[in-house]
Amino acid sequence: MIDSVETVKRSGWTRAIRLITQAKTSAPSLIIMYILMVIFFALMSKNYLTLTNFTSIMSNLTVLGIAAVGMTVVILSGGIDLSIGSMQGFTGVILALLFNIPFRLPIPIIIFIGMIVGSLIGAINGFFVTKVRINPVITTLGTMSIFRGLCYIFATKYVGRIFDPTYLAMNRLYIFNALPISFIYMLAFMGIMAIVLKFTKFGRNVYAVGGNLLAARLAGINTDRVRFMAYVISGLFSALSAVVLTGQLGMGRPEFGTGNELEVITAVVLGGISLAGGRGDFFGVLIAVLILGSIGNGMVLLNVPIYWRQVVKGFILIIAVSIDVIRYRRSRS
Amino acid sequence: MSQVTGSMGSTKIEEKGVKKFTLTNTLILFIMLVVLMIFFSLTSRSFLTYLNISTMLANLSFIGVTASALTLVLITGGLDISIGGTIGLVSCLVAWLYQGGMNAGYAMLIGLAAGMMVGALNGVLVTAVGLNPIITTLGTMGITRGLAFVITDGRSILIFEKTLGLLGRGGIKLFQSGDTLITFPIPVVLLIIVYAVYWFLMEKTKFGRQIYAIGANTRASYLSGVRTKRTTFIAYLLSGSMAAIGGLILTSLTAVGMPQHGMGQELNVIAAVILGGTMLGGGRGKILGTLLGVLIISVLYNGLVMLNVYFYFVSIAQGAVLIAVVAAYEARKRRVA
Repeated sequence: MIDSVETVKRSGWTRAIRLITQAKTSAPSLIIMYILMVIFFALMSKNYLTLTNFTSIMSNLTVLGIAAVGMTVVILSGGIDLSIGSMQGFTGVILALLFNIPFRLPIPIIIFIGMIVGSLIGAINGFFVTKVRINPVITTLGTMSIFRGLCYIFATKYVGRIFDPTYLAMNRLYIFNALPISFIYMLAFMGIMAIVLKFTKFGRNVYAVGGNLLAARLAGINTDRVRFMAYVISGLFSALSAVVLTGQLGMGRPEFGTGNELEVITAVVLGGISLAGGRGDFFGVLIAVLILGSIGNGMVLLNVPIYWRQVVKGFILIIAVSIDVIRYRRSRS
Repeated sequence: MSQVTGSMGSTKIEEKGVKKFTLTNTLILFIMLVVLMIFFSLTSRSFLTYLNISTMLANLSFIGVTASALTLVLITGGLDISIGGTIGLVSCLVAWLYQGGMNAGYAMLIGLAAGMMVGALNGVLVTAVGLNPIITTLGTMGITRGLAFVITDGRSILIFEKTLGLLGRGGIKLFQSGDTLITFPIPVVLLIIVYAVYWFLMEKTKFGRQIYAIGANTRASYLSGVRTKRTTFIAYLLSGSMAAIGGLILTSLTAVGMPQHGMGQELNVIAAVILGGTMLGGGRGKILGTLLGVLIISVLYNGLVMLNVYFYFVSIAQGAVLIAVVAAYEARKRRVA
């Protein structure tokens, strides 16, 4: 809020472009952090630096990574989405439901319906944020509660197991017995969205809206539409992560995804996406997802009691953000 | 949050408009509460009974106490998500210390100190380091929740103790005739005291005015001589302390120190504060509004449970009420502005 007084005076475009060029700054420190962590775990545990272990790390972090794609776009546009966990749970329940009804639809149509469901929830969030003008935190807090409730209502009458072998294989397959196919999905989604953000008008607008909402509006951008689309994208990728989640676990339970929103936000912010909006890119998010996945895995291999994991993750989040803030402050002065 | 564009010239007019606007908001909340009470009294036979009302009030007191100081943090334009974790940490710490043979009174004091330390850590990170409050308290939420599990090794510790038990389960005897004993629950007394203190603090003291000023325009209040960082720090410190007291009440109510205590409660408490008319982004809000928000959420929850409504529908109703009320605030604000 302090710099909003100053920024109004500056041109939105020069500021937006400046912010995009500065976005690369957090990636190097993350890579160094990741390499140090790998070296540390490799020295401490002989099982860490094995192919099997890396395969399991990769397949475990894909749900987080895919959900982080949508969250990145929302946070870049200056918003936040706390309903991600509920959207995952709700879409998962719907997917499981569609596999269990007597009239079986083909798999692509089921996945498509899941994507529509996620996008619609995202559109509800977007509508309340842009048209009714409710603060994003409150809106998504409300929809989080609503859709978690709906999860249980839709799940009561049906067993959530999914047996379809094709669907399960789609999410569990390993290429060359090593590379999980879901990890490829994650990389592909990140790549596509990175290209969209870098090279399309919509992508530029997301950065501009997040960097300075007022300036973006004065520059003629339809800010409401950009922010609305960001929430729809978030819903879409939550649904896609629910597809991977239900495929990997072979079921869709109503409690799936509870608390995931905090892990996803942690990954995105650790990846250098500024919560104030308009700053950061996908490369940092990818490294952050890798770091979070490796920490969990490494601590298991080191026999660290499971309860310390949360403490360590909390400290890492705070330290990473502190470094980012201090560097940003220095680069400005 | 970054939508506030400092229009310093018109503060006087704005302040008048704001005052009128929040007063009526509090009234609307009060009417809403009364309507809900009447509705549930008519539809459920067991709602308006001494047993139900006193239990409901005792149960809401820990949310209410926690929400009181969170209101201050929200008015400064910040947010504290770590309150749920603090509740769990304090609960486990007190039970663990008591199990280790410590006097319950000292254990409670140490629990309170732990909550203050969490608040102070949040305050330092937000004011001195300049971190985003959501991220900071997200981090400390993970840390406190994790520590709660570490302390008790994931187990729950039963704690039947007189002094601590008094805090949540105790009551002041009002009258007794035969078998019926009517008592006034001590947590409700505590709740009333807490809200009286915070009402005085926010309405009658310089500190309260400074909290509002920081939320309305941090830079302008800094330039006019408010020690913004110190005041914001105190708001986070109070939030941690009140969460600790909330944790003590909850531990006492349930007679168990449990690492899962308060899990997800941060969202309930934030929802109550926002329902009470405090806006995210700061500068606006009333302590009494928060109390009404807590009451409305609790009455809604309790009443729907009394009507045998599915728990899942209760969750949906709470979310819908939150969005509806805030939408109404926004509509009113636009009309006033």
